[in-house]
Amino acid sequence: MYSLYLLYLNGCYFARIPDEVIRKRLLIDGDGAGDDRRINLLLKSFTKWCNSPGTPEEGFTQYQRMLGILAQCEFSMGKTLMVYDMNLREMENYEKIYSNIEQNIASAHEKIAECKKEIQRAKRIRKNRQEYDALAKVIQQHPDRHETLKQLEALDKELQQLSHIKENVDAKLELRKKQFHVLLSTIQELQQTLENDEKSDNDDNSQESPAENGE
Amino acid sequence: MGPVELLHMSVFSQSFSPCGRFLAAGNNYGEIAVFSLSAALSPDSTALNQKPVLTFTAHEGPVFSLLSTDCHLLSAGNGEISAWSWSELTKKNVKPLWTRRPNYKSSLEIPEINSMTINSRDNSLVVGGGDNNIHVMDLENGVFKTVLQGHSDYVHCVTVREREAEILSGGEDGAVRVWGEFTGNMGLCVFQVCARPQYGKWISCVTTDSDWMLCGGGPSLSLWHLRSLSPTSIFNLSGCQRQAAFHQDLILTVGEGAFVSHCLLGGEVKAQIPCTPQSLNTLQLNNNSTEHRVLTVGGSSDHIDVFTNLSYRAFSLRF
Repeated sequence: MYSLYLLYLNGCYFARIPDEVIRKRLLIDGDGAGDDRRINLLLKSFTKWCNSPGTPEEGFTQYQRMLGILAQCEFSMGKTLMVYDMNLREMENYEKIYSNIEQNIASAHEKIAECKKEIQRAKRIRKNRQEYDALAKVIQQHPDRHETLKQLEALDKELQQLSHIKENVDAKLELRKKQFHVLLSTIQELQQTLENDEKSDNDDNSQESPAENGE
Repeated sequence: MGPVELLHMSVFSQSFSPCGRFLAAGNNYGEIAVFSLSAALSPDSTALNQKPVLTFTAHEGPVFSLLSTDCHLLSAGNGEISAWSWSELTKKNVKPLWTRRPNYKSSLEIPEINSMTINSRDNSLVVGGGDNNIHVMDLENGVFKTVLQGHSDYVHCVTVREREAEILSGGEDGAVRVWGEFTGNMGLCVFQVCARPQYGKWISCVTTDSDWMLCGGGPSLSLWHLRSLSPTSIFNLSGCQRQAAFHQDLILTVGEGAFVSHCLLGGEVKAQIPCTPQSLNTLQLNNNSTEHRVLTVGGSSDHIDVFTNLSYRAFSLRF
C-alpha cells in the first residue's frame, strides 16, 4: 500500500495515472502481497546491492538472486498477459454465443407464430370436417336417390299401364252403350210401328161396322 | 354488501367493452360491476385488481342481460333498457344515457327482459322478455318499430343469424322460432327429437353460427343445421344448459353443474373444466382484444371465473 501511495505521489509529479488503474490495482493486489511485494523487495535489494561494501562473491550471489527474482517477476507478468489474452478470447466467444442465441430466439418466435397460424387453419379444417360428418349422418338416414328413382320409374310404368287399361275399358263401355242405344231405339220404332198398325187396323174395323149397321 | 348478500348473489349477464379491457357483469340485485381486465391480467396484479373498479345500481330488478355496442353498454332490468357510455363508465360517471321501455300491453304487470341482441343489418336492438313477444327497437332513434308475436310463453333468449338477417328465439313453450323477412314466422319443433321430459320443454339457450344452431335447456343440447332444419347431433350432458357458444372448432356450454363443457360438433363431450360457482348462467369470450383473449363464466356465486387458457381456470374476479 505504501508503494502504491508512493506511486501515486510520483504520478502527481510525472504522469497522471488514471483512477481506474489505481482502483484496479487496489482490487487485484491491495494488500501488498505477491508481485508488488516482490518488486519492492527487488528495488530494495538492488539499492542495497549497489551500496554494499561486501565481497565480490557475495555481490555476485546477490546479483544472481536478484536476477532470479527478476525472472520470477517476468514469468508472472507473462502469465498475467496470457490470462488477459484468454479473457479477451473468452469474451469474443461469449459474444458469438450470445448473438447466436438471439438469432435462435427470433427464429423460434417466428416458428411459434407460424405454428399458431397452422393451428388456426387446422381447427377450421377440423370444424368443417365435423360439420360435414354431422350432415352426412343426417343424409345417410334418408334413402338412396337411385333407389327412389327406380321406385318412381316402376310406379310410373304401372300408372301408364293402368291408364291404358282404363282407356280400353272406357272405349268398350262406349261401344256397348252405343250398341244398346241402337238396339233400344230400333225396338221402340218397331213398337211404334206395331201400335200404329194396330190403331189403323182398329180404325178400319170400326169404320166398316157402322157402314154395315147403317144398311 | 354484507357477507349474506354476497352468498346469495347470482351473476346473470356479462359483457366485454369494445376495447376489450373491461368486463361488465350484472347480478340479481340490479347492480352492474365493471372490472378492469388489463389490471387483473397484468403480471403484477394483486387481489385488489380482482375486485371491480366500479359498482353501481343500474336497475331495480335483476340485470338479466347486458350487451355492448361500439361505444355503449346496454343493460336490461325490470322491463326497461338503459344505455350507458363505456367511456363515461371508465371515468366512474354512472349517469345513464337513456332509459326506454318497450310498449307492453298491460301497464300493471311489468314483464322482465330476458335477452337482447343486436341486428346489425338494420342497426336495431332485438329484445325478448316475459310478455311472450319480441320487440325490435331502432337504435338510431329509439323507436320500437316491430313486435313479433308468436310465442305462447315467455321468451328466454334471442339471437340473430347474421347472413340472412333472421332472428331466432327460444322460449318457455319449447319452441324455437325463426323470424325472417321472407320466411315470416317459422317454428322449429325441438321438443320431439331431443326431449327430456323430466326437465321440461323450455328452451333457454339459442345460439347460431349462420348455418348451424345450438339450442338447449330442458331438452338436451342439440346442434341443428338451419338450411335443412334437421338436428344433426345431440349432446349427452346431464344438466340443463343455459348458455352455449361456438368457438373455433369447439362448442363451449355452461349450465347446471360446476363446470364448463367443451364439446365437439360430432356430439361427443371432450372435456368438462371445473369452476367455482355451483351452477353457471353466463359465458362470454373476449373477442374484442387480442391480448386479453379470455373466457369468463359467472353463475350462482359472487365469483366470476376467468380462463386465460381454455383448459383450466386461471383466477376469479369477485364482486
